[in-house]
Amino acid sequence: MIRFEKRSKSYLFAHYLWIVFRVLVAGAVLFGAIYLVFLGLGSNYTFHWEEAIQFLPFFNQGLLVTLQIAILGAILAVFLGIAVALLRLSPWGVVRDLAGAYVHTFRNLPFLVVLLLFFFGLGKAIKILPFEFLGQTYRPQFIWGVLALGVYESSYLGETFRAGIESVHKAQVEAARSLGMKYFQVLRYVVLPQAFRVILPPLTGTLIALIKESSLLYLISVQELTEAARQLAIPSRPYFFEFYTILACYYLAMVVPLSLLSNWLESRLGISRASKKVKDHG
Amino acid sequence: MAEMRVLGSSRLMKLALRALILVVLLALIIFGLYYLLSQSYPFRWNLAFNPKNLDAFNEGLLVTLQVSGLAMIGGALLGLLVALARLSPFAILRDMGMLYVQMLRNIPFLVFILFMYFGVSKVFSAGPTVPVPLLDIEIDSRIFWGVIALSLFEASFISEIFRAGIQAVHKTQIEAARSLGMSYVQSMQHVVLPQAFRMIIPPLTGELIALVKESALLMVISLEELTLTARQLVQQTPLNFEFYAILAAYYLAITLPLSFVSHLLERKLAIGKAR
Amino acid sequence: MIAVQDVHKWFGLLHVLKGIDLEIAQGEVLVLIGASGSGKSTLLRCINGLEKIQHGKIVVDEMDIHKSRTNLNKVRQEIGIVFQSFNLFPHMTVMKNITIGPTKVKRISPQESKEIAVQLLKRIGIPEKADFYPDQLSGGQQQRVAIARALAMKPKVMLFDEPTSALDPEMISEVLDLMRELASEKMTMVVVTHEMGFAREAANRIAFMADGQIAEIAPAEEFFKNPKDERTRRFIEKVLAV
Ligand SMILES: Nc1ncnc2c1ncn2[C@@H]1O[C@H](COP(=O)(O)OP(=O)(O)OP(=O)(O)O)[C@@H](O)[C@H]1O
Ligand SMILES: [Mg+2]
Repeated sequence: MIRFEKRSKSYLFAHYLWIVFRVLVAGAVLFGAIYLVFLGLGSNYTFHWEEAIQFLPFFNQGLLVTLQIAILGAILAVFLGIAVALLRLSPWGVVRDLAGAYVHTFRNLPFLVVLLLFFFGLGKAIKILPFEFLGQTYRPQFIWGVLALGVYESSYLGETFRAGIESVHKAQVEAARSLGMKYFQVLRYVVLPQAFRVILPPLTGTLIALIKESSLLYLISVQELTEAARQLAIPSRPYFFEFYTILACYYLAMVVPLSLLSNWLESRLGISRASKKVKDHG
Repeated sequence: MAEMRVLGSSRLMKLALRALILVVLLALIIFGLYYLLSQSYPFRWNLAFNPKNLDAFNEGLLVTLQVSGLAMIGGALLGLLVALARLSPFAILRDMGMLYVQMLRNIPFLVFILFMYFGVSKVFSAGPTVPVPLLDIEIDSRIFWGVIALSLFEASFISEIFRAGIQAVHKTQIEAARSLGMSYVQSMQHVVLPQAFRMIIPPLTGELIALVKESALLMVISLEELTLTARQLVQQTPLNFEFYAILAAYYLAITLPLSFVSHLLERKLAIGKAR
Repeated sequence: MIAVQDVHKWFGLLHVLKGIDLEIAQGEVLVLIGASGSGKSTLLRCINGLEKIQHGKIVVDEMDIHKSRTNLNKVRQEIGIVFQSFNLFPHMTVMKNITIGPTKVKRISPQESKEIAVQLLKRIGIPEKADFYPDQLSGGQQQRVAIARALAMKPKVMLFDEPTSALDPEMISEVLDLMRELASEKMTMVVVTHEMGFAREAANRIAFMADGQIAEIAPAEEFFKNPKDERTRRFIEKVLAV
């Protein structure tokens, strides 16, 4: 019987190659099956991929706007989220409850409703003027969209941050306090570094959600990625299937790397292993 | 006994007081914001609360509940299949399940519904209604594709819940069951699934909340659920703030109780706790 | 009762069991010792078919465990195993944990299995805990319930994988006493343990495993008095020094 004694480099390489091959085969089977369903049930629809692909530059413009929205929204969400988490952990019950009301309200609303309420509701009462920045004009739609996105996601991030901070054992805080550290010192030197490991994977998850939610901004006519596809899909260019497939691919290209990163972080930081261990003894 | 009752009531008092303070503070904050806004925006609630408008909202609510309920059932069934595929001994099934989940999880539902309704349904050259084989009825194609899209999409999330639940039952539990001579099906039935079930129920309720929220997007295929109803009302009478605030209240009325239930279940179903 | 012939086992590329030969007679108690990672647990798990083997043969009570035609569920009714970490079912009461095997696997009536369980609970000394859940018991009590759960199937062979090493010192003896009792009743047992006192008293023979092989196997007294293998000698010195 011939067996390797150890995992050699060439073995690992072959292993990864095998996984890629497997996934490719599975993809081929899956899409083949879907295609057959199309052939079987579908009418005489003819695909127009070549025509559709010519509009990629138009998609790219939308992509740029989507990225801007996502980045600005994420920054806003992180700052608001930290604030919310700290309020949720405050020593005063009333403050905790108020922050809780904020979190629960937004988490339990569809983002669409928040967006409509912000742009059409608040937007009617509070006027924001379009402004120019780096040679680009930003319309109120854009600003309200980013605000709504940041506020909405902050309700999720607030809980993520809070769970991260709470995951650090009380004894750690007590040990730090017994050294004479002050509240913010404890937070900064002891709690946050440990909480970070717990926070990072769901943080990436929220970023993913944020990119996905940003597609709704087309409903208030922000010229982002989804709006680009919508503008292309008109009766004189009836390749809707193709346009929306391309649109989906754009989002996959943005989000899948993040999703892989999140998985990798999770395994790398040992979150899953640690939590499993806890279960073992529980 | 008497002492306990006194203790209990004083705790209740405290809770009530806290809730009261919260409500008062919230009311103050909301009223303050409201006052500021009313300086530049004339609120006309009496117009918005016209019974005709509320009837429209209630009809929208019904559609939202119907679509969400159907999609939850479809999503759970499909999700279980995908989860079993992802846990199956055959690599090709596992990989296909993985691809399905990754693809749907990573695109916005909005994009998916546009893709399904304007893309896929056109490939099938759909008319305004879709005939259902066997049952001999026709379904409004917006509802049909709405429910299909929502089910397919949610299945990718629900399958992960099922999978996590089944996998969270520790492998040693299966081994212990197998070493007693139980068959695969027996150990699933008596040992794994009862434990997995408790872990699955709370996140499944959470997913139902997500589903209700996602269903708002079905307005883009002009399905007259809650959100589209609000938009149509706004187009008739431009009471933007009022109608959207009512809309928000409707959603909260569905989702807040669900999230409370989910929270309760999570505590109640913690494994191995004596009842 | 148990015959292990030239068994090889790989985990992926890791060669864990490298040709194990072992004969255990009816009513014999064999204690298996050896360094961590030497493959003791793996051997036990192969004996009741929780792990597959790639080469060799294991026969228990005239049943070839790893033959594809063998009904493993049938075999496992004859072989009880007790794990280091108890592995009780957390969502069932103690009573249910013990009766689930007899009722669902052997299809004994609930009434009868309950009687069996009551007897066993009396025997392990905690009849009053029948309606408790596992996490309401101490470690020693949980492990005794785990033994009772295995005994309820009326097995011909009992395997123990470090049954006391997850226990607090003061609870070890209550589990070992129960095992001694079983041994005196001529139960066929294979016990992986670091409890040398138990090995000395209860074992008929002791086997020392090193690096996936059985380095030495001898009657208990001889094993401690004049170990032949160099690795055995060092191991004994180490554990006796502690
Ligand atoms: N499921 C598994 N997959 C891969 N390797 C394994 C698996 N189980 C055990 N091993 C490896 O097989 C070897 C033998 O493990 P085993 O658990 O049988 O040792 P042991 O003698 O029982 O040790 P210990 O005294 O620590 O329990 C170890 O190197 C271990 O890492
Ligand atoms: Mg071991």
